[in-house]
Amino acid sequence: MSDRPIIEIRDLTKFYKGSDEPAIKSISLDIYPNEIFGLLGPNGAGKTTTISILCGLFPPTKGEVTIDGMDIRSSIDRIKHIIGVVPQDLALYPTLSALENLTFFGNMYGMRGILLKDRIHDCLKIFGLEKVAHKQINSYSGGMKRRVNLIAGLLHKPKLLFLDEPTVGIDVQSRIFILDYLNEINKLGTTIIYTSHYMEEAENLCTRVAIVDRGNIIALGKPAELLIKHPEFTNLENIFLHLTGKTLRD
Amino acid sequence: MFKFFSGFRKEALILLRDISGLILVFLMPMVMVIILALVQEFGWNTLTSEPQVQVLFVDLDHDSLGVQIENGFNSSRIFKVIKSVDNVNLTQEKARQLVFEGKYQIAVIIPENVTKRIRNKIQLLVAKTMSALTMPSLDLFKDIFNKDTIEVTLYFDPAVRNSFKNAFISSLKEKNARIESKMVFNTFNNELKRQFPQFRPPDVEYSESVNFNEVYPSGKEHEIIPTSTQHNVPSWAIFAMFFIVIPLTSSIIKEREEGSLIRLLTMPVSYLNLFLAKIGVYLIVCFIQFILMVLVGIYLLPLFGIPAFDPGNQYILLSVMAITSSLAALGYGIMVGTIAKTHQQAAAFGSVSVVILAALGGLWVPTYLMPPIMKHVATFSPLNWAHAGFLDVFLRGSDFMAVSHELVKLFIFFLCTIAIAIVYRKFKPPIGS
Repeated sequence: MSDRPIIEIRDLTKFYKGSDEPAIKSISLDIYPNEIFGLLGPNGAGKTTTISILCGLFPPTKGEVTIDGMDIRSSIDRIKHIIGVVPQDLALYPTLSALENLTFFGNMYGMRGILLKDRIHDCLKIFGLEKVAHKQINSYSGGMKRRVNLIAGLLHKPKLLFLDEPTVGIDVQSRIFILDYLNEINKLGTTIIYTSHYMEEAENLCTRVAIVDRGNIIALGKPAELLIKHPEFTNLENIFLHLTGKTLRD
Repeated sequence: MFKFFSGFRKEALILLRDISGLILVFLMPMVMVIILALVQEFGWNTLTSEPQVQVLFVDLDHDSLGVQIENGFNSSRIFKVIKSVDNVNLTQEKARQLVFEGKYQIAVIIPENVTKRIRNKIQLLVAKTMSALTMPSLDLFKDIFNKDTIEVTLYFDPAVRNSFKNAFISSLKEKNARIESKMVFNTFNNELKRQFPQFRPPDVEYSESVNFNEVYPSGKEHEIIPTSTQHNVPSWAIFAMFFIVIPLTSSIIKEREEGSLIRLLTMPVSYLNLFLAKIGVYLIVCFIQFILMVLVGIYLLPLFGIPAFDPGNQYILLSVMAITSSLAALGYGIMVGTIAKTHQQAAAFGSVSVVILAALGGLWVPTYLMPPIMKHVATFSPLNWAHAGFLDVFLRGSDFMAVSHELVKLFIFFLCTIAIAIVYRKFKPPIGS
């Protein structure tokens, strides 16, 4: 782990308009290069809010965030060049083919020409979508759509990749494939920030996790460290339930 | 720039693959202009061979007035006189009942002895005049007056529009005035003949001395007759252009709901760039729509017996007008699509607001017929600016300078709506706020 964090979060707070309760409360956190950092928490815990602020979708109410040494408020345009985002929704155009979708998103990252063409070709090949590259997305299975969704976020080889529930609603094979690929690109230098409801998946994939609830970080560390800290539990899911409770969340 | 072209290509592909949507975008305005032109043309004009409006006619007079009014209706080609229904001659009560039931829109009841009563009035008038001429000292008719009020009853279906009703009454009054003046003329002739046996009335019919020569001042070398087609085509072309708000807002909201917008906002591309790509594609759609509407006016409407549309010869100015009006429509669509939260909101607000702006813009009722307050409000409608600009080009043959005010206003409107959309999106992201 490098000494200098790639993401530095200090006292981050976000109030939504019309709400008395903050969505996130004075969170401070460092994420280091080459980490696969898991942001875990029940619905409404503040995961998506945190990621949205880090991606520049909206500003925080209070606090400081720097990404790769750049302030999120003043340098968001530069930050957007080094981050990749894979939203939970299938953020694709259903009537366009995978190739057309990826060409468009690649262009938006400033990629073009043969470089983009080769990159798309490589990605489609790796993800087993080469033969259906020209078919419209609306003819794809759920797993295939998820794979294209993932490719769209990492075409430009981002330094930092944000993944919001990348494996939700897909078959086991596609899930394992995606997780293996994420491990692979992480080894090649991509830092990954990842949210999930699948605790087992997070336990296996993440180098470090933060469990957030009601806008606070209530646990932070390597999965193994958390298990040592809570010897009464045998896995991350039990620790998660212990810390966040079993009450249903909206 | 290549980001713009990439966005443009994406938008174009999405639009082209929605074949049914595309057909609707182009076909519906064409159908609309044909139907509205047909309705307006045949509703008000006299170009058709078949009379359009049936008038129940009950003549209890059986004399000159009734006959001549009936002849007047028959020769007008707008009205068809109905004197019997189901082989039964109409009575006043039956005619009233049929109009009340909405089966017919108008009934005219010529009362009994009406011609005789008019004749009596005229005869008294003539006698008074002749007496004043021949025996001024006697003043025989000094204390004789005829205060008989003659009433012709008209029944109108309440659904008949006031403008039509007023036009009908005016036409009837005009007919009556002609008949009465003819009766006065004849009575004078008869009286003169009686008093001066040597008098031979000239064997000529009195004809109207004043002809109203319609002239439409135009900047063009050839005069353009402002037919309903000349009014309809630009009006409905503008209306259709602004209805681009519906597919445009749908495209914006769909992009937001499908999550693509969230992804795009995390990418190094400005929101303006994304807008401009959409505007580029939909501008072409609007322009094609406009050309199609003009072509419908030139080639299709004459097939329905409607005068052909005369687009004039100022094609460049016309294109600039069409592009600027389209930009105003697209800016409005972008603004509505950005602010609206759901498809339903956008569709309801978009369509209703366009209808309101069209009504204010004078697309249905000319602004010069509006009350002063509405005239003032109308000046704020972009459809009014576009309409005024197109009428200047199509009917007055105005040049670029003459329509520059409208062009500038439309372009500023476009810039303002885009600015509002960008500022709104900046302070109100698609998720959270």
